[in-house]
Amino acid sequence: MPKHIGKIRIRVPKHIANGEVIPIKALITHPMETGLRKNKKTGKMIPAFYINDVSVYYGGELVTHADWTIAVSANPFMTCYVKADKSAPLKIVWKDIKGGVYEKTVQIQPE
Amino acid sequence: MKEKQTQPSAVSRRQFLKQAGFASVAVMAVSTVSSMFSAEASSPLSWLGAQEAEAAGRDVREVLRANFGDRTIQPSHVTLKTPIIAENGAVVPVTIDSDLPMEAANYVKKMYIFVDQNADPFIASVDLTPASGKALYALRIKMRKTSLVRAIVETNKGVLYGDTKTVKVTIGGCGG
Repeated sequence: MPKHIGKIRIRVPKHIANGEVIPIKALITHPMETGLRKNKKTGKMIPAFYINDVSVYYGGELVTHADWTIAVSANPFMTCYVKADKSAPLKIVWKDIKGGVYEKTVQIQPE
Repeated sequence: MKEKQTQPSAVSRRQFLKQAGFASVAVMAVSTVSSMFSAEASSPLSWLGAQEAEAAGRDVREVLRANFGDRTIQPSHVTLKTPIIAENGAVVPVTIDSDLPMEAANYVKKMYIFVDQNADPFIASVDLTPASGKALYALRIKMRKTSLVRAIVETNKGVLYGDTKTVKVTIGGCGG
């Protein structure tokens, strides 16, 4: 498996009021290869390799689920929102078409 | 990133025709404006929708029809934020933002992004829940060339709302 895939950064606000609706910003390194590019040296098509499924869990419950295609940019960066009404882990899981699963958990701690 | 789209002073003829078409459509009833979104051309001013759809290519009409049939997509409650010009079509930041509530009985359950001029106009969709708290989703997408971008949201009651923006792409983003 090539390196530099699946490096994850999740950003949540530093101070969270109880019940506040907060932005979750998440970045993952991934080539999001479309399958439409040609290797210029070999002349062969570079096979598709992209994340097609993203799930956000808060306190174990699925909050957000996304279906992505080849048209999502490489090293995908997304923003979604969560209502922070409990002290609980926030887990994001990315899955690519080759069966790769990448995940990271951060704690949401309303004050 | 530019927050709001304003019309450039020097517009191409196609842009001008689109704007003129849009301005006159805005005078008509909401149901007519919404025909610009629907794949089915059914209302008196539908030729505008057809013209726009022909410029985009048949694919997007089929994709919209496959997803939404001939359901009305109301052009309200959703804002699609995009740059006016994307220097790099491989990384175009888009944000779908809806002011609709996210409560147990009334919430946005799904958001869709389409790019008319991409080989496959369907870009991504997001399933939301009331726990999302806010119907806003931002993503960076690839655009093959200058194109209309469409954001469509669906409530748990099956009501559809949408917004569109034209993004000018100077370097396309899908090929090598």
